[in-house]
Amino acid sequence: MKLSTLISEDCSKAAVLFNSKKRILQYISELAQEKIPNANQHDILEALLNREKLGSTGIGKGIAIPHGRLAGLDNIIAILLVNQQPIPFDAYDDRNVDIFVSLIVPEGGNKQHLETLASIAGKLNDKHFCKRLRQASNDHELYQVLVEFDK
Amino acid sequence: MQRCQGVFLIKNKLGLHARAATTLAQLSTQFDAQITLYQGDKSAQGDSVLALLLLESSQGKEVEVRCTGPDAKNALIAIGNLIEDKFHEAE
Repeated sequence: MKLSTLISEDCSKAAVLFNSKKRILQYISELAQEKIPNANQHDILEALLNREKLGSTGIGKGIAIPHGRLAGLDNIIAILLVNQQPIPFDAYDDRNVDIFVSLIVPEGGNKQHLETLASIAGKLNDKHFCKRLRQASNDHELYQVLVEFDK
Repeated sequence: MQRCQGVFLIKNKLGLHARAATTLAQLSTQFDAQITLYQGDKSAQGDSVLALLLLESSQGKEVEVRCTGPDAKNALIAIGNLIEDKFHEAE
């Protein structure tokens, strides 16, 4: 799966500045709500917060994949944020996090969810890709990094 | 130096998803051992969540766990138990 297809340009946000887990999840829920007009932002935020309560989605190397399931959703909503500075996110390797790939996924679809996670992990496992994401100074540049690495 | 290996069946409904992979990686870091998981032609270091997610191990898949190092045997037992216990998940 191509990341530039999964994540649309208006869901790619470079050089944002949030200073806590809660603030960044709030922003993600705002962006997601714009993509899912019939959902309310509070429900999206709750889904993300509930998942974090089960254990941080900080997967190491300065990366987190905050996600949550939402009933009645047709497609996956994916959002990429790069924060200007790494913030505490309770990641298992104790590193602060500055790259966030967030997913709002439909209920069920477990196999598809694993495929999506693997596509994202495959890209993020590449140090050079992560470096380019961190260097992007605006949203368009950030999205172009996705396009370039999908080729 | 100890070396040991075992094959375990992924039983939980969600497979090796993000939370399960993170639990496994956390557990892996507790042992003085090199831990590698194999599924088909893919392999992953036990302490890397990103690499574990790339295995795409879903329910019903078998994964081979190989451990090398002073703590290899304990590591294999602990990881085997975690997988068999469905990563502490209900289903």
